[in-house]
Order: sequence, then structure tokens, then C-alpha cells
Amino acid sequence: MSKATFVARPKRAEPWTRLGSKVRLASLLTILVPASIFALFLFLTGTDFMAGLVTVFLPLQLLFGAWAGFYAFGKRGILDGLLLVITFFLAFFVLVMLASVLWSVIEAGFRAMSPHFIYQNNVYVSGKTGLEIGGAGHAIVGTSIVVGITSLVTVPLGVATAVYLTETRDFGRGTVRTLLQAMSAIPSVVAGLFIYSLLIISGWSGYSGLMGALALIPLMLPTVSRVAEESLRNVSRDLRNGALALGAPSYRAFLMVTLPAAQSGLVTAILLGIARVIGETAPLLLTMALANGTNANPLEGGMTTLPSYIFSFIALGDPSSIARAWGAALVLLIFVGLLFAAARVASAPKKVKKRSA
Amino acid sequence: MSMAPAKRKLLSKPSRVEDKIFFAVAKAAGYSSFVIIGMILVFLSIRAWPAFESQGVLNFTFGTFWDNSLTPPIFHIGPMVWGSLLIATLAVTIAVPMAISIAYFIEFLAPKFIAKIATVIVDLLAAIPSVVIGLWGLGIFSPVGAGWAQMLNESLSGVLPFLSNSAGTFLRSPFIAGIVLGVMIVPLISSVTREMFSQIDGELIKGALALGATRESVLRRVILPTSAGGILGGVLLALGRAMGETVAIFFVLNLTYDRFNFFNILEPVGGNIASLILAKFGEAAPIEVEALMAAGVVLFIITLIINALASYIVQKAQPWRKD
Repeated sequence: MSKATFVARPKRAEPWTRLGSKVRLASLLTILVPASIFALFLFLTGTDFMAGLVTVFLPLQLLFGAWAGFYAFGKRGILDGLLLVITFFLAFFVLVMLASVLWSVIEAGFRAMSPHFIYQNNVYVSGKTGLEIGGAGHAIVGTSIVVGITSLVTVPLGVATAVYLTETRDFGRGTVRTLLQAMSAIPSVVAGLFIYSLLIISGWSGYSGLMGALALIPLMLPTVSRVAEESLRNVSRDLRNGALALGAPSYRAFLMVTLPAAQSGLVTAILLGIARVIGETAPLLLTMALANGTNANPLEGGMTTLPSYIFSFIALGDPSSIARAWGAALVLLIFVGLLFAAARVASAPKKVKKRSA
Repeated sequence: MSMAPAKRKLLSKPSRVEDKIFFAVAKAAGYSSFVIIGMILVFLSIRAWPAFESQGVLNFTFGTFWDNSLTPPIFHIGPMVWGSLLIATLAVTIAVPMAISIAYFIEFLAPKFIAKIATVIVDLLAAIPSVVIGLWGLGIFSPVGAGWAQMLNESLSGVLPFLSNSAGTFLRSPFIAGIVLGVMIVPLISSVTREMFSQIDGELIKGALALGATRESVLRRVILPTSAGGILGGVLLALGRAMGETVAIFFVLNLTYDRFNFFNILEPVGGNIASLILAKFGEAAPIEVEALMAAGVVLFIITLIINALASYIVQKAQPWRKD
């Protein structure tokens, strides 16, 4: 009898990830042949790219995909090949569209960008004025003030709502959750109409920055409370019960145990909420008057925000005003990108620490 | 020897003042959403009521024509309601296959590095302001989309009558607005889909593969059935979002008040409730503002219905979400 020998487990013990030579050859051909035929066809006939893509490339690619599947796996492989081709085609198509949005903002935005675009305001600027003077400084100030006021109200309210949903056992929680869901469905223009009908028509206030900030509250609240609820829910129940068992009152258990544990999630909630409303345009157009000068008083006078700046300059329609709109779009995109990156950093899983026994 | 602590009564309700305050604050915040939604419905309806009353609810919602210079003025938003539905449906039809493809690509096909980049692009696009999408639609996409529309029209309008166009221009049509809106909602749908895909038990897929399933049959028999409910809910959420979107399509859609454009998606004749509100609000007389409020109420009710349906389906599809 031979001694039992233990064969070391091979490093890549995942046979299904290893492709045979047949599969490799087939997929190589499937990638190269239709693309080169298509390139040749475009070069020779000069057909429109999009038309050729749909009428020549896609059928060819499908044909080759089906063949590759059949060659590598037999009859069952045909549908596999077709599936892969369709998925890749659609995924790349949509990625190109999305990348086009990003790229056009970055490319056209940088053409309008200059130091004075960041700090100057819009006084003495019309649609036809060149890009040498004028900028979106007043809009940056306006956006900061409006979004700041909205956050000041919504963040405590949203987090407290999340506390209500996770920490209490009140009978109304299901309804509140449904209502928040409904609130996230409010069309932004309706939120603007609401503040207009409630406060402006009735003469309690004129068009002002504060009205715009109020109109953004119902739009921001669902995002903040949903993400905050998710993060509070992820805090282990044992942690809470442990604090309570040690004799802590509920509010201290929450403030000193649950809140720190959910901290990064709450930061994410705030950032995502701000990102949700920073680009809202329609409600602000209905509740705030545009201004060309810098106005830091949210209670009185017109105030421009970045989205409404973009909107008004698109509406002017001249080439140089459109260029300004792109510039402001880039500024807005940078703000959103920063918020988004900060949210990712805040919600990234922390490095695993050794748990003390 | 220390004293034993005094016995405390065990209570299921908060006994201390601080706790009572804590729970009261939380409750008040929770009930604030009742107040907000209630106020929106009540105040909009009160302001909108004169318009509903003078025009008649059914005529207002389904009739055609909008003119404030007549006496009495006529405010009917039928083409706008239909246009909103048409464009949102178009957007969802375009976005769903793409969103599912890209979710499948990211979750199951792409190498980690590419999947990461694609995820960042998609997530960033989900957060991009709609006015920027509108600017892209007007400045970059409209000419390209008009070219596509013209090709579709020239090659297929003989077979498919809804692709006909007699206006001579292919700009500002529901087709273009639908695609722009589609680009806007792809990230929404794909993030929901990706979440559903990532919830699927990997063992289930490996088991299916071990039993001889192919990629395609795994998708058809395992992945899609287990995530269908969640995806459908996400699609409906995106549909609601698309219905209420304003500025993304304001500049790429021609509003026509006097006739319905039922299916000719390439004609520059369209309607959209939210765009109507924005377009007419600037120079509206008080009586017209009431009609716009009424249009807002109609829009809100439509999105509420879609959203209620969506959240019901999502709840059903994700039983683990229940408390």
C-alpha cells in the first residue's frame, strides 16, 4: 500500500476560468474579423458610421459570435455567443454615450474657464459679451447659500427621521417610509410650485434665495433619510443592546454608541443629499429671481445659482452665452464630482482592525 | 463593600425626561413627512381648484388647446399628458436593455479594473445635474440624433408609419427628447439592477454551471428570474423620474398645445407637463398660474401612482428589506 500523498492544491484551481485554445482562437477571430471588415467597409464606401454600425457591423458580429460559440462549445454555445455580443455591444454603446456627456462638459467647459470666470459676476454681461469679462462667481455664492440653508434644515430633519425609522417602535413607521418614497417621486417643478403657492402668491415673501432653499427641502429629505436609515440599520443590534444593558438611557446609547458607529454612513447621507439638490433647476426658476450681481442676502433680492445660471445662458442662445453655460456646467460638475468622491471615501469599508478578544 | 445599586423598575417605555425628549424629537421628525406631503397636496389643490372648476377636470386633463388670450381662456393639457407618457415610455424602452446590459457587464463579465472604471462613470452620471444633461442634449446630441432620425425616417418610414415626418426638420422631436431622457435614467436603472445582481447567491450560479448550464441559460433561468421584481421596481422608479423631469428636455422638445401627436415620434410635435409649467410660468397671468398649478397636481398624481406601484413591487421583490 502506498502512503497517501497529498497533492498540493494548484494555485488556480478554478478550471472554469481557464479558457481552452479553441475558445481563445474563436474569441480572437470574433473580435478581430468583423471589426476589420467594418473598418474596410467604412473606408471603401464612406458610409455614415452609425448606419454602418447597425447595418453591417452588428449583423456580422452576431454571426461571428454565434459561430464562435458553436465552434467552441457546440450547439449550446450559439446562444452564449449571441448573448455576449449583444451585451458587449449595448454596454459599450451606453458607456460611449455617458462618456460623451462627461467629455463634452470637460472639453467645452475648459474653453470657457479662466480665473475671472470663477470670481467675477455677471454685471455688464449680455449674451453676446465675449468671455474676457464676467463669470459665474455670483452663481457659486448663490448655490453655496441656497444649498447651505437647505442642508441646515434637511440634514437634522433627515437624520432624525432615520432615527425615528430605526430606533423607535412607533406604529407609523411603515407609513412614513411610504411617504418618504412618495416624496422622492415629487417632480422638482412641483416642489417649486408648492413653495410658490404657499408663500409667494399669498404675499408672505417675494422671490428670494430663502424660498428656493425651502423648495429644495422635500427633494433632499428622502435621500438623506434613506441613506441615513440604511447606515443606522447596519449598526449591530448587539452594540445597542449592550449599551442599554449597561444602564445607558436610550438617548445616550444612541449618541455615544450608535451614532459614532454609523458616522461614515451619515456623512455619506449628507453628501449624497447635497449632490441630489445642487443641480436642481426647475424649483429655483419658479421661486427665485435671477440677478446679475453678487447677492449674499437670502431674504431679499434676486440670487443666481449655478443651475439657473446655466439655464438662463442656454436660453439666451448666442454662441458665447452657450460657452458660458458649458463653463458653469463644468464648475457644477466639479462640485458634484467632489461630493461624490468624498461620499465614496466616507463610505469605503475601513481597513479591518484586529478585534480585541 | 459597595452598596448594591437600587432596584430599577423594568419598563418598556422610556421613563427619563431625556429619553422622552429624544423619542419625541425623532417622532416629530418622522411625522414631518406627513406634514410636508399633506401641505403640498392641500396647497396645490386649493390654488389649482379654480382652474379645475372652470375648465372641468376631464376637459382639463384630456382636452386639447391652451390659450390665455380667449375669454374665457382655455387651458387643456391633454397633449402634454400624452407627451409626457410617450417620452417617458420611449426613454425607458431605450434605457432598459442598455442598463441591464451594462449591469450584467459590470457584475459578471468585465475584468475588475474595467468594471471599476465603468462603475465610476455610471455612478457619476447618476449624480449629474439634469440641466447639464439638457445642455449636452441641446449642444452635442441634438444634431447627431437628428441625423439618426433622418436615417430611420428615410430607410424605414415606408414599413413603419410612425417613423414618418412631414415637418422637414428632425430637431426637437419626442425621439430626441426620449433618448436624452434615456441617457439620464440609464444610470438609475443600472444601479438598481446591479444591486439586485449582486444580491444573487453566487453558489446558485456555480451550481447551475456545474449542472451544465451555459452563460445564456444561467442568465435566463437563474439571474433574471431572481432579480426580475427588483429590476421592474427600479424601472418604474426611473419612469416616475422621467415623467417629472423638466430641464433636461426643455430645450430639446417642441411643445404643441393644439393637437395630439400619438405615435409619430420623429415629428417635432411633442408635449410635456413639466416643460409646460416652466415655459408658461414666466409671463403667466394669475388665472394661468392657477391652470399651471392644476397641471402640477396632475403631474404629481401620475408620478405618485407610478411610484406607489414601484415601491409595492420592490417591497415584494426584496423581502429582506422589511424591518
